[in-house]
Amino acid sequence: MVEQKFPESLDKNPRGIPKAPFIANVEEYIGGPDGDVEGPLKDFQDAIAKYRYMDGSLTQRRKGLEDKIPDIRKTLQMVEFLKQRRDRKQKADDQEDDLEEDDENSEGAKKPLTTTFELNDTLFAEAQLDDTDTVYLWLGANVMLSYEIPEAITLLRSKLDAAETSLKTAIEDLEFVREQLTVMEVNTARMYNWDVKRRRERRSAEEAAKREKES
Amino acid sequence: MNNMRVLAEEEETSDGVEVTWEDQQQINTFAKLNARLKGIEDKLEQLKQEKEALDDLSTELELTDEDQTVLYKLGESFLHLPQPDALVRLEIDQASVSSQLAKLGAVAEECERGMKDLKVRLYAKFGKAINLDE
Repeated sequence: MVEQKFPESLDKNPRGIPKAPFIANVEEYIGGPDGDVEGPLKDFQDAIAKYRYMDGSLTQRRKGLEDKIPDIRKTLQMVEFLKQRRDRKQKADDQEDDLEEDDENSEGAKKPLTTTFELNDTLFAEAQLDDTDTVYLWLGANVMLSYEIPEAITLLRSKLDAAETSLKTAIEDLEFVREQLTVMEVNTARMYNWDVKRRRERRSAEEAAKREKES
Repeated sequence: MNNMRVLAEEEETSDGVEVTWEDQQQINTFAKLNARLKGIEDKLEQLKQEKEALDDLSTELELTDEDQTVLYKLGESFLHLPQPDALVRLEIDQASVSSQLAKLGAVAEECERGMKDLKVRLYAKFGKAINLDE
């Protein structure tokens, strides 16, 4: 059996996942009515196993990203909130310099921000946040870096964008892989049925020959 | 071997129409849209609930005094905000949920439309030999 050119020579999707061929005519594919089916069937099984593996890892990837995106978004919301507060305070300060009077707005912005945050599961504590220009972002790998608030926002936005694009491609790939899996399964079924039919025809031909001999 | 024969013979009686590559592609697309819709439905439901909660919250907040401090959840922690500030934040959150809802709803609708088209075409060709309902 010559090694089938499978799946290297075929079309690929943008991430290089090979496209499964659709076998419209089994006889043609295996090279004539007496072609071997075991080899191609084994190739199909291998391809299905590969697609299954990709399906598994992509599903995991998707889940990971779906967990990660809300986290980034929450962090971004919080930093944006801090920035808003800071901007308002700045404005209030300017106003104070100009007008030397305390209107209600500036007073609200000048009060330190009190938060109730989760210390541990079901355990909350109160904390007052001093006004600050910098926040610390956890970058992973046990590293935390301090950022100016606008920089932090830029970084978080780009991370969020990257994660969302990545999720989109993961879902695309996943849909692609599932499609290829179906095609390969259909191919397998077709070839299998074709082989069964061929065996039956051969057997009835044999029987007919035998009967002819007997008579 | 014998089992295999019986199965194939039975199958053959129901296997009247040849499945072409185009048919296969349409079936694949249908499956893809169906899966996509399934994935969106959960998220859509979640967003709807969130929107409802925010709407309830909005009526609730209207009733509170202006000089009252409310605890508003942002991310994992609660901010102690004066009521007017909380209302502003609430509006931001409501807008964001609404826009997400609209976006997802449009995608879901598109899926449904595509599936309907394919259903008509595939049922016309395969009749009872194919089942495209859940």
